[in-house]
Amino acid sequence: MKARTVFLLALTLAVCLVLLTIQSRGRGDIAADAVAVVMTPVQKGLAAIHRGAVGLWTTYLDWKAVRAENHRLREEVRRLRVESLAVSETQEENRRLRRLLELKARLPIQTLPGEIIAREWGGWVRSLTVNRGRGDDVRRLTAVISPDGLVGRVVDVRPGSAVVQVLTDPASTVGGHVLRTRTPGIVEGDPRGTLRFKYMARDGTDLQVGDVVVSSGQGGIFPRGIPIGRVRAIDDRGAALFHYAALSPVVDYARIDEVLLVTGDLMQDLTAFFVAPSGG
Amino acid sequence: MRGVLALTIFGGGIAHATVAPAIRIADVAPDIPLIVVVLLALRRGPEFGCVGGFVAGLLQDASGGGLLGVQAMTKAVIGFGIGTVGARLRVTQPLVQVPGLVLLSVLEGLARFTLLKLFHFPASLGELMVYVILPQALYNGFLGAALVLALAWSESLREAR
Repeated sequence: MKARTVFLLALTLAVCLVLLTIQSRGRGDIAADAVAVVMTPVQKGLAAIHRGAVGLWTTYLDWKAVRAENHRLREEVRRLRVESLAVSETQEENRRLRRLLELKARLPIQTLPGEIIAREWGGWVRSLTVNRGRGDDVRRLTAVISPDGLVGRVVDVRPGSAVVQVLTDPASTVGGHVLRTRTPGIVEGDPRGTLRFKYMARDGTDLQVGDVVVSSGQGGIFPRGIPIGRVRAIDDRGAALFHYAALSPVVDYARIDEVLLVTGDLMQDLTAFFVAPSGG
Repeated sequence: MRGVLALTIFGGGIAHATVAPAIRIADVAPDIPLIVVVLLALRRGPEFGCVGGFVAGLLQDASGGGLLGVQAMTKAVIGFGIGTVGARLRVTQPLVQVPGLVLLSVLEGLARFTLLKLFHFPASLGELMVYVILPQALYNGFLGAALVLALAWSESLREAR
């Protein structure tokens, strides 16, 4: 071992012993002061570095916590949005079903509620399929209504379902009259998906835009007084025998989800049981 | 030599002041300056270990508010001793590192206790051993071994380049 190394050790130990001796003799202040002169700047520097490191660490932890919280909140927002959509959907369905049930309870005729399970919406055919069929004693030509008005008639009955021809089907015709003037006529489906009211010119002189057309009850398929549509425009054909009025259907056939199938007496006048649209 | 010495002392001091409280387990913090002195004394020899241990210990004495020179002496002796016998030890083996550091930490604790007893230190050795020296020694052993492995890994990466 080198003499320098041994000397270094001896010197180090000597310094330590001197420091300890000074302190043991009650003059610790001198030694502490001497060390403090050297150490205090170092300690200050270390303390600053410590504060910086702790600050950085705390910032990192905060950032990590904020990030985790942000992730959690995003998940919660996503879940709540889905829940909110589900609740809105349920509320809307509840509102529709409530209206349907209110109508069913209000009507003096026997009805059967049904749910739309399919739609045929090409230009050639416009129909809905309901989840009621032969097993529910549904028959061909059964009238189908909704809280807003007339939907159509059953044209095909299957074991668990029935096909309903809606009024806008090009092959659909329904006897109707204008609620205000009692002008009789025929409501026909249109390939464009709208309705038109065909009436004799001499009967329809008082017809106005906004008038409500309801079913006439003639023909024995539909009860009398169910709203069909509202006059949107009048096609005055001069001296022609028949004039036409374009109708806006009171029922949105593309969006309807629940219907009532009229299974009872068809001879009743139901005008008073539907909320009369303005203009009627 | 001076640069490494300064780095050792200040690096150890900074680590002790910043990292040690953060990695405390059940109120037991590792003695990072001791680990650093031992590890670098093994590589740099007894002179480095002695001076490094002395300054690091003095820094700890001063910052802790205890008797100046106690840790300076114990760490200087430990650094000198391990620097002297280090060449003959196979310290790359974790089976040597962990018990070795534990043993050194216990020895340092015993030496410190002996010195403090000369100045009428009131605590008993049994309590100190159970609650302070042994837990810290175990922590030092595992942390030191992890540091050695990390150093060996970084050196192998550097050599691979």
